Amino acid sequence: MKQHPLCTDCEPELDITSLPIPAGLKRGWSAIETRRRFLGRSGKVLGWAALASLLGESALRSHGADVKNPALATRNNLGLPHFAPKAKRAIYLFMSGGPPQMDLLDYKPGLAAQFNKDIPDSVRGSQQLTGMTAGQSRFPIAPSHWAFKQHGQTGTWVSELLPYTARMIDDLTIVKTVNTDAINHEPAIMLINTGNMNPGKPCLGSWLAYGLGSMNDNLPTFIVLQTKTNPKENNQPVSSRLWSSGFLSSEYAGVGLRSGGDPVLYLADPDGVDRDTRRKMLDAVEQINRQTQSDVGDPETNARIAQYEMAFRMQASVPELTDLSKEPQSTWDLYGPDAKIPGTFTYNCLLARRMAERGVRFTQVYKRGWDVHGDVVGVLPVLCQETDRACYALITDLKRRGLLDDTLVVWAGEFGRTVYSQGGLSADNYGRDHHPRCFTTWMVGGGLRPGITYGETDDYSYNIVKDPVHVRNFNATILACLGIDHNKLTYEFQGLDQRLTGPAPAYVVQGLLA
Amino acid sequence: MQRARIPTAAALRVTATAFILLLSPFVFRLNGHTHADWLQFFGRFHPALLHIPIGFIVLVPILEVAGVRRTALRESAGFVLRLAVAFALPTLALGYMLAYGSGDTGSTVTGHMWGAIVLCISLMICALVRPAWTIGQQPRVYPALLTFSLLALLWTGHQGGSLSHGSDYLTRYMPAGMRHVFSSSPPGIGADPASFYAQRIHPVLDQKCVACHGSSTEKGGLRLDSYPNLMHGGKDGLVVIAGKPEASVLLARVTLPTSDKHFMPAEGRTPLTPDEIKMIRAWITAGASSTATSIPGFAAAAQSGDPPPQPVGDYSALMPEIQRMQQQQGAKLVLVSAKPSDGLILRTVDIASTFNDAQLAQFQKFAPYIVEAELSRTDITDAAFETLRSFTHLRALRLDGTAITGSGLAKLAPLKQLTYLNLSNTHLTMQAAATLKSMPQLRHVYLFNTPAEPDQASAKSKP
Repeated sequence: MKQHPLCTDCEPELDITSLPIPAGLKRGWSAIETRRRFLGRSGKVLGWAALASLLGESALRSHGADVKNPALATRNNLGLPHFAPKAKRAIYLFMSGGPPQMDLLDYKPGLAAQFNKDIPDSVRGSQQLTGMTAGQSRFPIAPSHWAFKQHGQTGTWVSELLPYTARMIDDLTIVKTVNTDAINHEPAIMLINTGNMNPGKPCLGSWLAYGLGSMNDNLPTFIVLQTKTNPKENNQPVSSRLWSSGFLSSEYAGVGLRSGGDPVLYLADPDGVDRDTRRKMLDAVEQINRQTQSDVGDPETNARIAQYEMAFRMQASVPELTDLSKEPQSTWDLYGPDAKIPGTFTYNCLLARRMAERGVRFTQVYKRGWDVHGDVVGVLPVLCQETDRACYALITDLKRRGLLDDTLVVWAGEFGRTVYSQGGLSADNYGRDHHPRCFTTWMVGGGLRPGITYGETDDYSYNIVKDPVHVRNFNATILACLGIDHNKLTYEFQGLDQRLTGPAPAYVVQGLLA
Repeated sequence: MQRARIPTAAALRVTATAFILLLSPFVFRLNGHTHADWLQFFGRFHPALLHIPIGFIVLVPILEVAGVRRTALRESAGFVLRLAVAFALPTLALGYMLAYGSGDTGSTVTGHMWGAIVLCISLMICALVRPAWTIGQQPRVYPALLTFSLLALLWTGHQGGSLSHGSDYLTRYMPAGMRHVFSSSPPGIGADPASFYAQRIHPVLDQKCVACHGSSTEKGGLRLDSYPNLMHGGKDGLVVIAGKPEASVLLARVTLPTSDKHFMPAEGRTPLTPDEIKMIRAWITAGASSTATSIPGFAAAAQSGDPPPQPVGDYSALMPEIQRMQQQQGAKLVLVSAKPSDGLILRTVDIASTFNDAQLAQFQKFAPYIVEAELSRTDITDAAFETLRSFTHLRALRLDGTAITGSGLAKLAPLKQLTYLNLSNTHLTMQAAATLKSMPQLRHVYLFNTPAEPDQASAKSKP
C-alpha cells in the first residue's frame, strides 16, 4: 500500500535476517557474509568459512516428537511463551463484512458540511476500486447519519449507535489506523486471520494452539462460535477455511460449536452405550490407529487419535460448558434477554466468558452482516443492537470476575468502508463500499494500554496520517500480548520458516501496550 | 654451594618495564576522550589474545607441583613462565590501547587496568627470582609471588568479565540465598524516590544507557546512573540543560537518524522508544527537576502500576517431576515463560472439581517457585490458606468459585508480592473482607457475587 504523503511514520525497511527463510539458509547466508568480509581483508581463510558453513548445517534442529503426546513434545521444544505473557487467553469478536468506521468510532465532524460533494481526487488518489463502485460517475461524500458524543474521562467520540460501548470507552484501546492489502472479503478476511490472502495457512487461533497449547485438557484449545445470520443483513460466507490449521497438524484447527440445537452433534452416547463401553471402543480404535501410524507414518493419524480422546472428554465437559442454568440473575441483567437464545451474538459472548473461565485458549466469535453496501441507515442500527450490548456485557463480566487482567479481547472486521456513497446518496440513506486503507478496531484486556485512541486518519477517514497499523503488525501485537515473539513462532514448511505475520517484516505496535 | 645471582641486565630490564607500565596510565590518561581508530582496531584483539597468557600462568604452578615427581616438568615451568610474561605484556598493551582508543573510563576499567599492571610486574619478578629458587635459595619469595600472581589474575579476570558481560553476570542466576551475600545494593539515584525523575526517567536511562555510561564504564566521561551525574554531564560538557530540550545533547543524540555515527545508544543497542523520548523531552522542558512529581501530560508512576516481578529461585532439580506432571492428566505446574526464573503456574482446571486441600498441600515443596495459583472452582476450603502462606513468590491467587469464606485470609498478609486476589463467587464474609485492608500490596481484588461485594464496583484497584 502506498503511504499517504502526510504520514510521517514510515514502516521499517526490509532486513534479510527477518525474512522467514529457513534458519539453515540464514546461517548459510551469514557464513557467506563472513567469508566475503574475511576474503576482503585477508584473503587466505577459505577453509575456515567452508568449515563454518558445514557446522551451521549440521546444527539444524531435528524434529523429535513424543509418540504418546505429540502436541506436548513439540511445545516443549518450542520454548514458549518467549516471555512472561500479560494475557493467557484471547477472545476475538470478528465482525465479518467490514464495519463502517466513520459511523461508529472514527468521528469526522467536517463531513456534514460536505454532504453530496465529490471526494477530492487528492484524497482518493489512484486507488483501485471494487467492481461495485468502479463504474460510478461520482463519489459523493456521505456524512454519518448519526450523532456523536464524547464519553468517559478520555472524552472519546462515540456514535449514538453504540450506547453500551460508550459506557466502557475508558477501558478500550481503539486503533483507527488498521490497514490491509485486500479490497474484497475473501482475501481480506484470510489476510487478517492467517496472514496470507490465499487459503492454506494456519490462522491466529491455530498458531496459538500450536505455540501455547491447551490450558484445559477437557476442552478444545481453540473454539469457534458462529452467530446465526439475520436475513435482513448482507451476510458474507464464513467457513472452516478461516479456522483451519493449514499446514499445522489438524489438532490445532478451531473446533466450531453449532449455533443451534446440540452444540456438538452426537455428543451424548446412544441408548445402551455407557461410558465404559465407549472407553473400551476408543481403546480398541486407538490400538488400530497406532498400528496404522507405525505402518504408514502419517502424523495426521496421531492427530486423529488425539481428537478421539478429546471428543471423549468433551462428552462430559461440553454439556457443563453450555449449561447456563446456574448463571446468577446478575448475568441476565447484564447481557439482556438475547443471552437466553442460542445462536445470538449475545449468547455466544456469554459462552465465550464461560470458556475463558474454563481455560479455553482462544475463542473466536463470528458475527456476519456488516457488509453494508446499501441501506446503511436501515441495517446498521440492527447490527449495533445485536452486538453493542453483548460486547459491553462480555467486557464488564470479564472485568468483574477478575478475568480481564489476563484475557485479551479483540473486536475487528476484515476492512473498513468508504466515506463516499455506493449507489445513490439521498438525504436520509446511503451505502458504503469496501475500504482497505484504514479501519477502526478496538481491543481490551491483558497487556494493553487502556483508554487510548491510537493513530489518526484524514478528514475523510480515507487515508492514514499518523501511526499506521498494518494487519500483520496488528497480529504481531496480539501475539506479543500472549507472550509470543512473532518472529520466533515459526514452522518449517515448503522451504520457508512460516509465521503468522508472513514474509514481510512485521513489528509489535508498542504504543498499544501497557 | 653455588650462589645464583640475579643478572643485573635482566633486573634492569624488569625495573624499566615496570616503570613504564606504572607510568603510562599517568601519561596516557583514560579521560573519556576517544583516540585514533587504529588504537581500537588493535585493541579489539585484546579479548582474543588474553586467554593465551592466562593459560600459561595457570600452567606454571601445575608444572611446578608436578615437577616434584618429574623434574623435566619443573624445567619446562621456567619456559612456560617466560612465555606467560611474553604474552602478558602485549595483552596488557592491547588492552590499554582498547581502553584509551575507545575512551573507556570507570571504576571497573581502572580496576582491570591496575590489576593487569600489577599482575605483569609480579610475573616479571617471578621470572627474575625463579632461578634462585630452583637451586634452593630463597625458598619463600617465588612461591609467594606466584600465589600473588594467581590472585591478581583472578581479580583482573573478574573485572574484565564484568566489563564484557556486565557486573551482574555471575550473580543474576545465582540462587537467591547466595545472591543476597554477593550482590551489593544498588547505589542511590540522588533524587526524591517519588519524583518523576525516579519513577519514569531513571528507569529508562538505567535500562538503555547505563551499560556504557555507568559506574563500571564511563564512555565520554559521562555517567547517567544518578541525577547528579546526569546533570554534571561528560567530558564535552552538559548533556541536559533544564528547560531547553533543543539544547540538551542527551536528547539530540538519541533522536539522530540511527545511521548517524553519533546516534545513541551506540553499537546496535536497543534505541529509546518514541514515548520514552517524548517523556524525557517533557521532563527537560519542565525544568529537569529531581523533586517534581508530575509533568504535564504524563503520569508519575508507570501506567501498568504493578511492581516488577521478582525472579524465583532455581528449581531445576524438581524439573523431572514437573515434566512428569505435565504428561499426565490432573493438576500440573506450568512454566510462565521460557525463562525459568519467571516461575511456575499451578493449574488445576482439568480436575478442578476434585482438587482439595490435601492435594494442594502436596505442592508445598514447589511453594517458593509458584507465582500464580489457579484454584478457581476447586474443592478447596479455608484450610488452604495454611498451605498458601508458604507460597512466598505468589503474585496471583485465584480462588473464585470455591467454598472459601475467608476465615484465615489474614495468613496471606506476609505474601509481599501478592498483587492479584480473586475471591469472586465465594462465600467471603464481610468480616474476612475487612482483613484485606491490612494487605497494601494487593492491587487487584475481586469480590463479585460474594456476601462481601461492595455496592458500587466489585473490582477494587488501589492507587
